[in-house]
Amino acid sequence: MRCERWDAAGRRRPRACIRAGGEHQGVGTFGGGRRGAAVALAVVLACTGCVASRQEPGQATAAVADAVAEAASAGETARITVGLLDEGRLTGPVADTALLDQLRALDEAETALTTLVPPDAASTAHRTAGLAAVGDVSDAVVAARSWVAARSGGRLAGAADVPASADAVLADLADATDAADAALAEADGP
Amino acid sequence: MSKLLAAALGILTAIGGFVDIGDLVTNAVVGSRFGMSLAWVVVLGIVGICLFASMSGRVAAVSGRATFEVIRERLGPRAAGANLVASFAINLLTLTAEVGGIALALHLASSVEPRLWIPVAALAVWLVLWRVKFQIMENVAGLLGLLLVGFAVALFLLGPDWGELLRQAVPPSPPGTESPASYWYYAVALFGAAMTPYEVFFFSSGAVEERWTAKDLATNRVNVLLGFPLGGMLSLSIAACAAVVLLPAGIEVTALSQLMLPVAQAGGVLLVAVVLVGIVAATFGAALETALSSGYTLAQYLGWSWGKFRRPARAARFHLTMIVALLLAVGILMTSVDPVAVTEMSVVFSAVALPLTYIPILVVANDPAYMGEHVNGRVVNALGMVFLVIVVVAAVAAIPLMIATGAGS
Repeated sequence: MRCERWDAAGRRRPRACIRAGGEHQGVGTFGGGRRGAAVALAVVLACTGCVASRQEPGQATAAVADAVAEAASAGETARITVGLLDEGRLTGPVADTALLDQLRALDEAETALTTLVPPDAASTAHRTAGLAAVGDVSDAVVAARSWVAARSGGRLAGAADVPASADAVLADLADATDAADAALAEADGP
Repeated sequence: MSKLLAAALGILTAIGGFVDIGDLVTNAVVGSRFGMSLAWVVVLGIVGICLFASMSGRVAAVSGRATFEVIRERLGPRAAGANLVASFAINLLTLTAEVGGIALALHLASSVEPRLWIPVAALAVWLVLWRVKFQIMENVAGLLGLLLVGFAVALFLLGPDWGELLRQAVPPSPPGTESPASYWYYAVALFGAAMTPYEVFFFSSGAVEERWTAKDLATNRVNVLLGFPLGGMLSLSIAACAAVVLLPAGIEVTALSQLMLPVAQAGGVLLVAVVLVGIVAATFGAALETALSSGYTLAQYLGWSWGKFRRPARAARFHLTMIVALLLAVGILMTSVDPVAVTEMSVVFSAVALPLTYIPILVVANDPAYMGEHVNGRVVNALGMVFLVIVVVAAVAAIPLMIATGAGS
């Protein structure tokens, strides 16, 4: 599991504390034989779909942070892509493919969040904020892709919704990425 | 003069043929997450592949036997059979990654879905294997692969802080942003990407295809000792491009398209076009080599007639094996599996399988019955033993690290 964040200076920091607090918990109070049986039962139940997977608070927070970090990475990739296309340094097909790849990454991030079962109120709040952030980035990347298609001469049914300029696209992407960073900071804790 | 030209051509094709989809993806991922802190692994891998390829080339040139013929002779049919199963499976995984890499590169160039390109790419690979002569195939793919030098050009145009890149590389240690387990997982993956076993199957079988003799050993040595390190510089420049542009932006590489961003930033559309052609050529060349390696390993183990120097009708089972391997690769990719994920798996499992080919080659290169006066010297043997330890440690550590880190994620 990869966990990281950006500090005030814009440098990434490890979130090993979240991992360390979150993993390998939950079965420690069982005795050896019972623990094995409990793990086996949990595996069987999970495999047969009788229970939803449940995580410890630290694990859930780390999972939220990972998904939001993916979204922030996707937003930043899209921002650079649109900037380069606007400057004439990138071809339309490469830009379109780069944005499509990021939409797939965002889809994975959203799936990770929607399938998460938060164990407490704090994790629920983090997940809600994370889902909103991932949604915002997705909307911005979808709009960016429409702009790329329109710029390449594509005829779009919803042409009125296509951002008018690269500046508008870049501003939306910057806002969405900032929101993702804020959600990431929140999920990481103080 | 013609010898000089042949040597130059050999070096250039060795440079252009060094990078494949495994190197592209792994170096970009590593550069975006770890900066240059794993550059030492690339250097280690280059020394390893030089040693490994020069030994296997020497064995093939002196004994006239390719790697899997040697493995069967030395290990016997049962142990060599187990080796064959593992090597063939890893090779198939690598072939799948390379065909997927061609499709991804063509997707980048055209915006057309990669699943539509997969059968086209496989068909093109098969047509070249069926119709084109070995030397032409090797030289054209290798020379076009040289266009990946665009990554090195991009790095210089980006004007990075070289001191900062050096500080990331030396002393080698995991950056604070990543766990030590992830760092070592990617160290093993990079090592596997640099020392992929198919390169040795292809190199030694190619020596037989081109009818090398002991007289060609000097050429072999020059090709390997100049070509591979220069090819390794391309790998390092891919990682450096990612470290300069993507790492500070907090971008983690998950797709081939992200490799284009530093290139576009540095050199615009022209450099992007050059690098795209280079990626298609590098992955296409590697797909040819891995497909051929499938045929080589099976045919050499079973004693079938093999080689592109024979007409397909005279090496029918060798060609059939390549066709089946290509069809299997297409089948795997058409399940919508992510080619980048397949690539990441293939480089790690390459590290796992490495001792299976490395150890027999090291043993035979020391056997006077095979090698006569061309047995390993003391320096090569000492280096060979050091790498034996490294190769075994990487192979043993690969799967536990993969499990512990969730495949480095």
